[in-house]
Amino acid sequence: MILAFTLAGIVLIGVLGFVGRRRPAADLAEWTVGGRKFGALTMWFLQAGEVFTTFTFLGMAGLAFSGGVAAMYALPYVPIAYVVLFFLAKRIWRMGKERGYLTQGDFLEDRYSSRALGTVSAILGVVFVLPYLQLQITGLGLIVRLVTGDHASGTLSMIAGSVLVVAFVLWAGLRGVAATSYFKDAIMLVVLVVLIVAVPAHFAGGVSGVFRKIDQLHPEKLFVHAGANDHTWFVTSMLVSAIGVGLMTLPHTWPALMSARDPKVLRRNYTWMPVYELCLLLPMIIGFAAILVVPKGNDPNGVLLTLSKDALPGWVTGLVVVAATATAMVPAGGILIGISSLVARNITRVRSERKQFWINHGTVVLASALALVLGIFRPDLLANLLLLTYSGSVQLAPANLLGFLKKVPVGKAPVFAGLLAGEVVVIWLTFVDPKLVGTVNVGLVGLAVNVIVLALAALIERAVTRSGDVVQTGEPV
Amino acid sequence: MRSYYLPPLVPVAALVLMPFLPFVNSSGLWMGLPKMMVWGAFWCLMFTPALLLSERLMSRAGEE
Repeated sequence: MILAFTLAGIVLIGVLGFVGRRRPAADLAEWTVGGRKFGALTMWFLQAGEVFTTFTFLGMAGLAFSGGVAAMYALPYVPIAYVVLFFLAKRIWRMGKERGYLTQGDFLEDRYSSRALGTVSAILGVVFVLPYLQLQITGLGLIVRLVTGDHASGTLSMIAGSVLVVAFVLWAGLRGVAATSYFKDAIMLVVLVVLIVAVPAHFAGGVSGVFRKIDQLHPEKLFVHAGANDHTWFVTSMLVSAIGVGLMTLPHTWPALMSARDPKVLRRNYTWMPVYELCLLLPMIIGFAAILVVPKGNDPNGVLLTLSKDALPGWVTGLVVVAATATAMVPAGGILIGISSLVARNITRVRSERKQFWINHGTVVLASALALVLGIFRPDLLANLLLLTYSGSVQLAPANLLGFLKKVPVGKAPVFAGLLAGEVVVIWLTFVDPKLVGTVNVGLVGLAVNVIVLALAALIERAVTRSGDVVQTGEPV
Repeated sequence: MRSYYLPPLVPVAALVLMPFLPFVNSSGLWMGLPKMMVWGAFWCLMFTPALLLSERLMSRAGEE
């Protein structure tokens, strides 16, 4: 019954995606940013859709189960990032509209007068975000597998979910993602409220009962202490994530911001979104309940569904699975748009808009097929790259920040030098010598090196340009 | 520094310093919830009035 419920939910999400448009989008700008016509409510769900992913549902509960209150690092970073965007979004939106940006690559190429920088940033964007796409698809399979206990059902759901996401994204573009975002957030909120009432009541007599027992049996779960998730890890992880989101280093966040009808809509949403963010506490509380029930050593990502299955009747568990499936499928659609527009606009470099449009659509199919095949047969292959999604992407923060200024103060060479140094440091500390910096987030170490190299290269550039050459950057805007 | 940048810096500081405040980062509960959870939720809620105040200060400065 749960599998039937899940497949019905997957089909419903696909149908809602198609409803986003009556006819397929005719050009890339309309497809990628919905003609820049989205109002406050649609923007709200699009912006929230970037935050509430499978990580929200399964990962937050898992993080609280394994690390206790250290999971709290994930609550403040988005509101902190929204403070940055509150002050920057109007400017980014205006520049995007005036200069026709659809992607981060467009922005960097224009601001630094460098096609190479546009291409390199696009390649980095695709490499770092593809594992994030696979995470959503793998998460979808994991959800169904955990609840049905059947491996084949998980694989079937991954295939059905991927095919429908590709279909509605090709048909409707960002409008399809927006249409499904409404459904996703509505069902997610209903399910989270049901879970927060039913699960703690079933296992400990209520939420305060859960924490009273934790305080007696596992008091170390209630504070951040020495170990893998210590104070340094907590603060540096929070800062890297906040810088990454606040300075728009993840490529799939660009189309959503550019699609607003009016920049005032963005500012209003950034003001109120931190209240909505508190929903992240709900799966975290379920994770704490799991500490009392689920034996240590179980897969942390499965604890929310394990407790749901034990505490709720079958049809309600089916509803939980549909909500969790939605948190995988809808963000996957947004990520696909981010990846395909980068390939079509900044990597393949075809001049004809028609060809660009078809390359974009081909990339949607290819990227999701790659993520699906790897998710089924080699889920570990991209897992290592997922470690770089945030720490690698955040190395574009200095380039973005300087590009947001009225006149770009440095040329492309210092930005390239800093970016290269930062990425090398991050890759080295992630794969070669992970213990070198202890629990400091490697993205922050890379960013420090990145900024120092960029500053030194900028000084050299200035010394050289004083002797005659002019540094080429984009026009002041 | 322009005055409209200041209001949201208060919740930002409260959240970044959260694990270093001994009265917050310790076992025990406030209102039946972990202290860090209560502290984090409160200061996340404070972003909204802080940003509304920033907006007012910006429009006063003619820089909305």
